[in-house]
Amino acid sequence: MAAHEVQKQEPSTSRKSPFPLAPTPTKSSMRSAPASAPSSTKPCVPPSTTRVVAIKSIDLDRSRSDFDAFRRETKTMSLLSHPNILSAHCSFTVDRRLWVVMPFMSAGSLQSIISSSFPNGLSEPCIAVILKETLNALSYLHDQGHLHRDIKAGNILMDSDGSVKLADFGVSASVYERNYLGTSSSLSSSTTSSYRLTDVAGTPYWMAPEVVHSHNGYGCKADIWSFGITALELAHGGPPLSNLPPSKSLLLKITKRFNFSDYEKHGGADKNKSKKFSKSFKDMVGLCLDQDPNKRPSAEKLLKHSFFKNCKGSDFLAKNVLGGLPSVEERFRVLGGLKSEDDEDEDESARERVKNRRISGWNFDEDGLHLNPVFPTESSDSVVDPTESASGSVVKMVRFGGETIIPLSSESHESCLSSPGRVAEEERGDESGESSLESNLSSLAGADSIAVGVDREAMVGGLTAFMRSLDEQRQNVGTLIGLLRGEEVGEVMMSREEQMGQVVDRLRVELENERERNFQLEMELEFLRIQISGAYTTTGSATGSID
Amino acid sequence: MKGLFKSKPRTPADVVRQTRDLLIYAQRSPDSRESKREEKMAELSKNIRELKCILYGNSESEPVSEACAQLTQEFFRENTLRLLIMCLPKLNLEARKDATQVVANLQRQQVHSKLIASDYLEANIDLMDVLIQGYGDTDMALHYGAMLRECIRHQSVARYVLESEHMKKFFDYIQLPNFDIAADAAATFKELMTRHKSTVADFLSKNYDWFFAEYNSKLLESSNYITRRQAVKLLGDILLDRSNSAVMTRYVSSRDNLRILMNLLRESSKSIQIEAFHVFKLFAANQNKPADIVGILVANRSKLLRLFADFKIDKEDEQFEADKAQVVREIAALEPKELS
Repeated sequence: MAAHEVQKQEPSTSRKSPFPLAPTPTKSSMRSAPASAPSSTKPCVPPSTTRVVAIKSIDLDRSRSDFDAFRRETKTMSLLSHPNILSAHCSFTVDRRLWVVMPFMSAGSLQSIISSSFPNGLSEPCIAVILKETLNALSYLHDQGHLHRDIKAGNILMDSDGSVKLADFGVSASVYERNYLGTSSSLSSSTTSSYRLTDVAGTPYWMAPEVVHSHNGYGCKADIWSFGITALELAHGGPPLSNLPPSKSLLLKITKRFNFSDYEKHGGADKNKSKKFSKSFKDMVGLCLDQDPNKRPSAEKLLKHSFFKNCKGSDFLAKNVLGGLPSVEERFRVLGGLKSEDDEDEDESARERVKNRRISGWNFDEDGLHLNPVFPTESSDSVVDPTESASGSVVKMVRFGGETIIPLSSESHESCLSSPGRVAEEERGDESGESSLESNLSSLAGADSIAVGVDREAMVGGLTAFMRSLDEQRQNVGTLIGLLRGEEVGEVMMSREEQMGQVVDRLRVELENERERNFQLEMELEFLRIQISGAYTTTGSATGSID
Repeated sequence: MKGLFKSKPRTPADVVRQTRDLLIYAQRSPDSRESKREEKMAELSKNIRELKCILYGNSESEPVSEACAQLTQEFFRENTLRLLIMCLPKLNLEARKDATQVVANLQRQQVHSKLIASDYLEANIDLMDVLIQGYGDTDMALHYGAMLRECIRHQSVARYVLESEHMKKFFDYIQLPNFDIAADAAATFKELMTRHKSTVADFLSKNYDWFFAEYNSKLLESSNYITRRQAVKLLGDILLDRSNSAVMTRYVSSRDNLRILMNLLRESSKSIQIEAFHVFKLFAANQNKPADIVGILVANRSKLLRLFADFKIDKEDEQFEADKAQVVREIAALEPKELS
C-alpha cells in the first residue's frame, strides 16, 4: 500500500519524516480508546498527507518505570530499517501519552486474520510465504544483536498488498546492551561469557524452554523456538497446548520435547480435522523446536531450508489470504462491539502483564505452582482486562489467563449452563472455574461459540477431552502436593523434584536479596535522619538559645 | 585481487588500519569519480562490521580477548576514533549502528589492565563537544548519544562534560519533540547526574545556583508532562544520595523550592505526586527548618494534612506509609516561628 511503498523509497540514512511532531488534528476512522486502556492503536490520516498511519498511544502515567523501556522501544523502532520490520515514522508525547506513529498495516495481525477467517489454520503455501518474510526480519534482527523475544502470529502484520512485517519491539532487547547493564567497567565477565539475556520476557505459549528456565541465559535461538511455535500456530489456528493453562504448557515444554504428534495428542477437542502437512514443513518446525538451543538452526540457515524453496510472493498471500477477509474495522465490530482496541493493544496490555510478572520477581516455575488454575483461590485475585473478556479474544485471554480465568468467563458460563457437561462440572466443585475455561477453549474457534450459540456435539466432545486433560492435571497436582509435603511420589519425579529444588533455591536467594535491600534502605533512611538533624545541630543550638 | 586478500587472514590490527585508511578517504570531499567512492564506502562499512564481529563475536564464535586487545591498541594508537566520529554522518544507517557498537565496546576494553580509551579521550576531550552537539541533529542524535553515554563512564570525561558549557543545553535536549531523542538525552543527563558520586557532588556544590535555577524553571515547571515527571524523579535520586547531603540541606531550605514541590504535589498525575512526595518529605523532615519554610507549611497545614489523608499508592508499601506518617506528624506539630 501507499505507506509501504513510500517507506521503501526513503533513503536509509535519513530518518527525517514529513510527519508533524504534534497531534495536529487527525482524521481517525475509529472511536478513541477507552480512558482505561494502557495503550491503543488506531489508524489516522495526518493532515497534508494522504497516507494512513497507525498510531500507538501509550498512557505513560500508568507506567512506573523511568521510561527506559519506552526509550529502548522507540529507539529500536527508529533505528531498524528492513522491509519486513515495522519501524516507526516518529514518536512524541501528547500530554501523558506517548504516540508512536507507524505505517498502517491494513490487514491487521495474522492472529486476527486467522481467528476471523481461518480458525483451522492457513494452507502450507501461505504459511511458507509468511514464515519466509518473518525469517528475513529475524535474520536481520539477529545480525544486529537484537532479540525480538515475542515472535507470534499476533505480532506479524500484513498489509493489503500481502506484504508482511514483524512488529512490536516492546520486549525486544539487544544482547550487546543488556550484557553490560549490571557489570561495571570490568571486562572479565563479557569476555568469558557470551552475550546472553537472563530475564524472562515474552508470551508463555511461545516461550522457549531456556527462556522459562532463564538462569543459564538465552540467545537468538530463543526466537527460533518461538518462530517454530508460530509456524504451528499458523498451521493449526492456535499455538500448541493453548487449550491448557499457560503454566501447564510451560511445564510440559520443559519436561519433554514435543512435536507434531504431541501436538495432536494434546490438541484435544478440535482435532477431528485431518490436516496433512508436507515432510519438509514438519522437518523445518522440528528443527526449530529442538530442546537444545544450540541445535536449532539460525534464522539465516533456516531461510535455506527446502520448505522455503519455490516460495510464492506477497501477491499470492494477497490473493489467498486477504480475499474475502473482513477489514480490520469489520473484525473489531464482530468482536463484540464494545471494544475499540486493536489486537495489538491486547498484546500490549498482555505484554505489560508479562513484564509485571518479571518486575515483581516471579518466574514461571513459580507460576506453575502459584498460578496454576488448579488452585482456584489463586485465580480470583487478578486484574481483568475488560477488552479480553469479549468473545473474540478468548484464545488470547487464555494465554495470559492463568490468573484471570474465572471472572472472564461470565459469558461462557452461560453457555455451559445449557450444556450436558454441567453435572460433571459441578462434581468437580471448586475446579469449575477451570472447567468453564476448558470447555470454552474446547471450541477453540472461541468467538463462534458465543456468537452462534452452543453446539451440543462440540460441547460434549470438548468436555470429554477436557475430562481427560483434567485427570492428567489432577495427577500432576497430586504429585506437586506430594512434593510439597516432602513425600516421595512415584518414580517419575526425579527431574521434577530437581526443578522444585531449583525453584525453592531461587526463591530463597530472592528473599535474601529482598531482605538485604530492605536493610540497606532502612540504613539509608536512618543515615538521612541523622544527616538532617546533624547538619543543624551546630547552628541549631546557636539559634536555639536565641529562640 | 580479492582472492589474494582472502588467502591471508587479516589480523585485527590490519582491519583497524584498513578502516582508518578508508575513513581518511571518506573524510575527503567527494571527487568526480563517484562510482569508485561508493565501492570504497561499501568496503568501509564491511570493515566496521568486521571490527564489531571481532569485539562482540558472532553467532558461531565468542570474542577472543587477545584479538580484542590487539584491536583496541591499534585503534587508539592513532586517531581512528576521531576519524570514525567525524565520518559517522557519511556512513549509511547500518554502518552507523555498527560503529556505535564498536565505540561503545572499546570504552570497556582493557589493554594490560588499563582502560586506554580513557587516556585517549582525555587527550581528545573535544570529541565530547561533537557527540553532545549530536543531539541537535535528528539523524545523528541516537548514534552520538549512545556513544556519549558510553564515554561518560570514564570519570574524567564525565567531569569535563559536567563542567562544560554543554551542560546547559541538556535542559533543552531533554525536551526535544522527538521522543526517542529526548528520552536518549534524558538518559544521558541522568547518567551524568548519578554515576560518579564525588564528581557530581563537587559539580553541584560549585554550580548550585544556576543549575537548580534552570532545573526548577525549565524542568520541574515545564509544561511537558514527561519532563516534569522525569525531573522530579531524578531530583529525588540526586537529593537522597548521601554524597549529595550538603546540596540536599541547601535545597530543602529554600522556600522557592518548597513552593515548586508543593505545586507538583497538587498535580493530577499520581505518578508525579508520588515522586514529588519523596522530595517534599525532605523539607518536612528537616529538623532545622528556616522560619519561612515553617511559615509556608503552617499556612498550608490543613490542606497538606487533607492531601496526605487520602494519599495512597496502588500497592502496599510500608516504607511509604511510614514516611507519610512521619511527614504528617512533623507538619501537625509545627509551631509558627518568629523571625528573630
